[in-house]
Amino acid sequence: MFLTRSEYDRGVNTFSPEGRLFQVEYAMEAIKLGSTTVGITTPYGTVLAVEKRVPSPLIESSSIEKIMEIDAHIGCAMSGLTADARTMVEHARVTSQMHNFTYDEKIGVESCTQAVCDLALRFGESVEDDDALMSRPFGVALLIAGIDEKGPQLYHADPSGTFTRYDAKAIGSGSDAAQQSLQDSFHKQMSLIEAHTLALKVLKQVMEEKVDENNVQLAQVTPEKGFTILGEDELKRVIEGLAA
Amino acid sequence: MALFAPPPMYADPTMAADKQHAFNPYSENGGSILAIAGADFTVIAGDTRQSEGYSIQTRYARKVWQLTDRCVIATNGFAADGNNFVKRIKQRLEWYEHAHQKQMSIKAIARLTQTMLYGNRFFPYFAYVILGGIDEDGTGAVYSFDPIGSYEREACRAAGAAQSLIQPFLDNQIYFRNQTPAPGAEPFVPGRLPLSTVLGLVIDSFTSATEREIAVGDGLELYVVMKKGRTTDDLVGSDNLIKNMQVQELGALGEGGSERTFLVSLPLKRD
Amino acid sequence: MDTLVRQLSRPAVPVHGEDDEAYGNAAEWGSMGGYGNLSRTGAISGMTVPRVLDPISFLATHTDNLSTNPEAKIKLAHGTTCLAFKFRGGIIVAVDSRASAGSYIASGTVKKVIEINPYLLGTMAGGAADCQYWETYLGIRCRLYELRNKERISVAAASKILTNLVYQYKGMGLSMGTMIAGWDKTGPALFYVDSDGQRIKGNLFSVGSGSTFAYGVLDQGYSYDLSDEEAQDLGRRSIIAAGHRDGYSGNTCNLYHVRENGWEFIGNYDVSQEWYKYNEKEKKALEHAGKAGVQGGSPMAVEA
Repeated sequence: MFLTRSEYDRGVNTFSPEGRLFQVEYAMEAIKLGSTTVGITTPYGTVLAVEKRVPSPLIESSSIEKIMEIDAHIGCAMSGLTADARTMVEHARVTSQMHNFTYDEKIGVESCTQAVCDLALRFGESVEDDDALMSRPFGVALLIAGIDEKGPQLYHADPSGTFTRYDAKAIGSGSDAAQQSLQDSFHKQMSLIEAHTLALKVLKQVMEEKVDENNVQLAQVTPEKGFTILGEDELKRVIEGLAA
Repeated sequence: MALFAPPPMYADPTMAADKQHAFNPYSENGGSILAIAGADFTVIAGDTRQSEGYSIQTRYARKVWQLTDRCVIATNGFAADGNNFVKRIKQRLEWYEHAHQKQMSIKAIARLTQTMLYGNRFFPYFAYVILGGIDEDGTGAVYSFDPIGSYEREACRAAGAAQSLIQPFLDNQIYFRNQTPAPGAEPFVPGRLPLSTVLGLVIDSFTSATEREIAVGDGLELYVVMKKGRTTDDLVGSDNLIKNMQVQELGALGEGGSERTFLVSLPLKRD
Repeated sequence: MDTLVRQLSRPAVPVHGEDDEAYGNAAEWGSMGGYGNLSRTGAISGMTVPRVLDPISFLATHTDNLSTNPEAKIKLAHGTTCLAFKFRGGIIVAVDSRASAGSYIASGTVKKVIEINPYLLGTMAGGAADCQYWETYLGIRCRLYELRNKERISVAAASKILTNLVYQYKGMGLSMGTMIAGWDKTGPALFYVDSDGQRIKGNLFSVGSGSTFAYGVLDQGYSYDLSDEEAQDLGRRSIIAAGHRDGYSGNTCNLYHVRENGWEFIGNYDVSQEWYKYNEKEKKALEHAGKAGVQGGSPMAVEA
């Protein structure tokens, strides 16, 4: 009945003798159940693409929100328990606005990611009179895309509170295959259009259904327009380009 | 809701019978500060006298401090509040550098100054603050504040005991108020005077204020922040030195920012 | 015994409350370390208050907020004429640019229209810092609303956020009389909000020490059906009249026009120059009508 790990996989703040925090590792597993999400950096901006799983024709696909705006210059895409991501995005939004208020400037993409990751570690027993604390690690990973004075950037933030910068990154159920094909096709001088196409091509490989404008979503952060989610027409055009 | 710090234990109604003397944590320490922005430099100056009433406490107390490679702060009013404010803002600058891996821009320091001053809205710092430096475009910038944090970017500002002596002079010389260009001459554009002219105006402002304001005198410390790559000949060239004037370059505080800051000191009358 | 303990434990000098509050929690040191008196939720918290029995009278003793307490050392920038009115073409917002501290003109170049965001304006009357700080803060609250709800905040909601904010500090000594003007789903909207916690929806307001002078000009020239140009001129003329007669107002007039797609800055006008221009026009009109002309070229003669 009990697995060998059972002694150490309950308390979120208990290390196993091998030095592992099982609850955090399980949280990372939760992400692998999520839909595939891709991010690509180009010199002209950063692109995010997500697969929306629409298991029933009765679902209104536009109500599935997997790409969210953090501020005009930062956006994020998620994979895993998307409800957890709301807490993180809310924190990122508030922090961005606090930065704006205190320093009269946009928050850096890395600083914003750092703020989200600090929140990811606030699970476990409460310290002092800290009222709102989480009982478990987040079950979601974020791809945070943005532009600041350092140019277009893409970060991957996971439940362990670790963040890493990537040129291109895939997370979620199809991430292994997707990451491999990103590695094969990515190059540093990609145009935005190429990045859109590559992102959807990668999603297409790992998706079971045929790609259409209802089951994928594309967004980008550019120096000119900041964060934007591509409209239906634009998305259709990219999808048509895929078939060709 | 933790809007304020919790009430002190002795603010207990049962203690009201205790006789309390009026709490007066403020004093006025005289002196004056001044900043003028140029096209590619800013001058920030202050005298070094510190007094209380008619007596001089010290002939050398600093009122101007270098914060970053491109920002200098000057405070005036109650010296203890001013010094404490500078200490706190330096701490915040350090935190920011660690968190964001860059030096704060003068625009960011200005907003931070507002939030810090306003944080003491109900127990104000008795400090008039002026920031001077180079903005992100390489232009000279001056920001001035009231004690609880309202602020504005300007081309020049004087504050302190001699404010009402110096500011009208600057309005005339820097903003060209009530001046008419000679027929056929170029129209006046504020904020474009050469460094030598600005230095002359600052020094004259302080020597004149020293003559008429008892709280000003002893010494003048004048910081010049220059845009990166700008010539320094008009400051350190040998023929520009006024008698008794000393010029010293302050080293860079961070990496990469090649703005240069110079400290010019000269004596003022000590009577 | 209790009294004795209390006496002994009383600090000799009142201390700031800031340190125990804001820097006490080590977790605040990371990415949250740099936000001063903002809490993790983005709310304003931990404002320093002197540890005296009556902090309100402490503040009143030491600060001169509206040139009513010349004894006080700490003189704060204030004084104003602001006006705003709705008409067929949207909303006109006009303000002067003088800030006084006691009888000293602290500045003649103050921006009293605070651009909260591209479609909301706030005006500044009373304490300059109070208005600047809270209206900037309102700006981030409106932006958060927009991110959370995927639509712009209404002027009614924005002005209510501001009222609720300042109401929490009622009686503490804040001083602001502001107008929030903007365009939302309901069309142009204008609210008056002050530090007493009052919030009034209306079509025409003037606030500040020079408001009575401004009202005089505004009321006699106002009609809902003014053209854009007429309305802008009315706003400007009212401020200039106030700047001319009120000692705490003057220097220049800043004029804004709010339309469906946001506000537009119309211009900055020197009060003295415009005053003489208006008088010149009046004089010409008089002469034209063949009435007894005002003699002499001196502008003072016009006034006499």
